[in-house]
Amino acid sequence: MEIEELKRKFLNLDFDQREFPVRAEAMVDFATAVGETAAHYTDPNHPEFRAVPTFPARFHGRRMLPEDFPRLGGIPLDAGKAVMPKAPIRAGVTLVGRSHLHEIFEKTGRSGRMIFLVARMEVRGPDETLVAIVDSRMVIREKPAKEAGGAPQ
Amino acid sequence: MILDLHSHSVKSDDGRAQVVNYCQWIRKRELPLDGFVLTEHRQFDFESDYSALAREHGLAILKASEVETDYGHVLVFGVTPELALAFDFTSVRLPIGQVLEASERCGAVAVPCHPGRTRVGMCAHVAARGAPPGVRIIETYNGGSRGSEDEQAQAMAERLGYLGIGGSDAHIVSHIGRCATRFYNNVSSERELAEALRAGEFEAVSWKSKS
Repeated sequence: MEIEELKRKFLNLDFDQREFPVRAEAMVDFATAVGETAAHYTDPNHPEFRAVPTFPARFHGRRMLPEDFPRLGGIPLDAGKAVMPKAPIRAGVTLVGRSHLHEIFEKTGRSGRMIFLVARMEVRGPDETLVAIVDSRMVIREKPAKEAGGAPQ
Repeated sequence: MILDLHSHSVKSDDGRAQVVNYCQWIRKRELPLDGFVLTEHRQFDFESDYSALAREHGLAILKASEVETDYGHVLVFGVTPELALAFDFTSVRLPIGQVLEASERCGAVAVPCHPGRTRVGMCAHVAARGAPPGVRIIETYNGGSRGSEDEQAQAMAERLGYLGIGGSDAHIVSHIGRCATRFYNNVSSERELAEALRAGEFEAVSWKSKS
């Protein structure tokens, strides 16, 4: 399937929704794991206690891609994650993450053609306030006809 | 005047450098650059205005593009709104003839970059299918080249009579200025850059071993 067709069919349509209860212990564990020492990230009794900005990186939906997304072949790899914090995350709330495909693009490099899929999860609070945007990237590397030697494709 | 003709900022999907940090690095490290050109992947950034940043740091900050063709990646200098409509910058399968022709028609200059690189450089494609008509300049010094990739590019330039430019292909701050291009006259705009390239008034320079 061509990239333009994939874009037309799959971009910007929610394909997953999941709830994430936020516990103080998990916030402290995450802050400690990433090396934070500031009390407002590590002490649940601090009056400004909140999750570190990258905390939503631990949220995973039930699906990486829409259910009817075609198999593209090639070699899929994790291409990283980006978190854009929008509002403080406090302990005791239940957040909701809704995912859609935000971007599909292709590029070429030394290893050949690659297709990038960017799944975006919008994380919202109980009052629908947007608290974070989490982009998860997957790259699918096309298998070259010849892995080594010969003229390029 | 020395310009790094090939760099990427966070506007490119794989760029990790803020433009301001390139400026700070150049000044802090006292690099012999008078400016740099942002060649974002598969797009031309019409939106960003770096003029205040350029003034603050006393550097020329110009914009261009790196597109992807059937002969590998190609830098396009002097992009105009007319050229931006002439072909799909996001495509990874542009016919190089179309890019060269449209650039020429719109007053821009198309320069195949990192020609020695596997799959996305021009050398292997030339070996397989011959040299495409219309190429006058290629990148003979690329800061991201490995092994003998630059030597292959320089050999092809000599064999086919191409002029050579240099660019760092920086995606992170500390790579800016590894290679560059020395111009014999002042260049302060994208249009002047295209004119200087068309006039052949430049030479490629490299500091790769020193950085």
